[in-house]
Amino acid sequence: MPDLKLTNITKRFDKSVAVDDLSLSIEHGEFVCLLGPSGCGKTTTLRMIAGFETANSGTIELDGMDITRLPPQKRDIGLVFQSYALFPHKTAAENVGFGLKMRKLPRADIDSQVKKALDLVRLGHVAERYPRQMSGGQQQRVALARALAIRPRLLLMDEPLSNLDAKLRDDMREEIRRIQKEVGITAIFVTHDQAEALALADRIAVMSEGRLMQIADPTSIYESPANATVDQFIGQVNALQGSIANVEGHIAHVAIAGGRYISGLDRQIPAGTPVLAMVKHERVFLSRLQPAAGENIFPCQVEGRTYLGASIVYRCNLGDQAMTAAVPNHPAFEQFQPGEAAFLHWASADCRIFRQ
Amino acid sequence: MKGMKVTLSWIYLALIYLFILGPMFFVLAASFNTETSFPAAFEGVTLRWYARIWDHQEFLSSAWTSTLVALVSSAVAVLAAFLAAYAISRGNKRENAWLSATLAAPLLVPQVVMSLGMLQLASLAGMGTGFWWLVAVHAVHNIPFALRLTLTGFARFDFALEDAATSLGAGRWTAWREVTIPVLQSSIVAGFTFCFIMSFVNLPISLFLADTATTTLPVVMYSYIESRIDPMLAAVSAILFVLACAITLVLDNVFRIRLVD
Repeated sequence: MPDLKLTNITKRFDKSVAVDDLSLSIEHGEFVCLLGPSGCGKTTTLRMIAGFETANSGTIELDGMDITRLPPQKRDIGLVFQSYALFPHKTAAENVGFGLKMRKLPRADIDSQVKKALDLVRLGHVAERYPRQMSGGQQQRVALARALAIRPRLLLMDEPLSNLDAKLRDDMREEIRRIQKEVGITAIFVTHDQAEALALADRIAVMSEGRLMQIADPTSIYESPANATVDQFIGQVNALQGSIANVEGHIAHVAIAGGRYISGLDRQIPAGTPVLAMVKHERVFLSRLQPAAGENIFPCQVEGRTYLGASIVYRCNLGDQAMTAAVPNHPAFEQFQPGEAAFLHWASADCRIFRQ
Repeated sequence: MKGMKVTLSWIYLALIYLFILGPMFFVLAASFNTETSFPAAFEGVTLRWYARIWDHQEFLSSAWTSTLVALVSSAVAVLAAFLAAYAISRGNKRENAWLSATLAAPLLVPQVVMSLGMLQLASLAGMGTGFWWLVAVHAVHNIPFALRLTLTGFARFDFALEDAATSLGAGRWTAWREVTIPVLQSSIVAGFTFCFIMSFVNLPISLFLADTATTTLPVVMYSYIESRIDPMLAAVSAILFVLACAITLVLDNVFRIRLVD
């Protein structure tokens, strides 16, 4: 039985639809990321699960119980906020103990559970400090301990890493995953950062304009996106406009600008249909010598070069069509300068075709 | 260039002291002056004028009335302002513009006009003006000031704190008591103090609406100087000045503690 089940949830604000007929099931102990650009409805979804917003229609069930209209203070759901939202006038220990105090636990129980929760996030030594005396990373860990101290049925996190600097963000990411596994709690993590979602999630739910686009494990989301929106949002992608010319077996040929044909995986789209052919930047190969055989080989001109450290990104021109190739920064790969002629090449298996 | 900036800021500071604190210097000096008229050249030091206040019971009783009116009206104004500031900070934009404008309205009405209106209202209602009318009008007049100060506090307030408290099991009132009010404490205290002082020194409203049993200190002072001017009034003013300074200093210290937070 799923732990959390959203069924046909719709939420409107005035005339705009924030969440549109969303259905989602999350299994016990699962770590799910809600991923999407800002304004896609992911935070509204989280706030409805937490009880701060009420759905216009649809139901939310937690452990088989309908909680759609239950007030937030009765839901037993732990929340971690982007701003940490630690109470500034209370110490770390008082912050962590707040939920237990609200549950009217005896003093001794509160103390021992606060200690346990702070030890879990490895911050036993800051118990008596005020939030202003702690670093951002420490504050976020106290916030996590505070949410977990009430032994919630579900843990919700709203962009909890966005206010941390890059290095700390990676550490906190590991830490959150370790703690979630240790506690064995079902978790939903809202983010607009695809790298975060790919690294953390058991499953990623990609949202766009209030709708659920796809929910799947990170590999499937990245390698087999369900539609062009997901493909464009995850990773860096070349999108070529064209129309289906013909289909041979599993391979569809797409006519693109300049009388060229490219081939990609067939999706049983009839000939003549306008489509988008999508190839991720790192799946495009760039070489000086023309590859001996294969599909999707085009001569091109290197026009721009961006050095990213781990990779080098080349902007190439195929006549009427611009394409980008990301090449690993490694001696085994050729390097190019703007103005050079080269060949672009990619496998049909790496090219997905979607209706426009 | 830098030298000029420094010089200008010193001149600015000197002007502030000259025009704001300068007059107080003469009042303070006069309150210790043995000369019986006011203003007059300084002759010698005496505490006579301070002692004389005790012979004027109306000053003492009116000071107490002023304190009561100020306390109650400030409490009312701060409560109303806090609730309004909460709604404005959390609610939707269009309603907020309405609410802000309505609550700022008392600023635009001259106090004399407001008091006259209230006096008429009271007589139409067949009621005498008195303590509660005075409190009500002082409170209404002070709401805009309290509102400004609480809004400033709310501008820095993270409403996620309330959501956090709620998700941890606090009901709305508990979340307010445990989180919202303590976090906004310094704006609330500042608003209250500001209202208290504004109400305590108010003359126009009290002049119209105070009855014989609720004469406030400024009204008594005003009627006193209508008949004569002597240094006793300077002594009363000096006491008020010192009290205002003391309150400000205490508040500033409270603030400094909060600001380091």
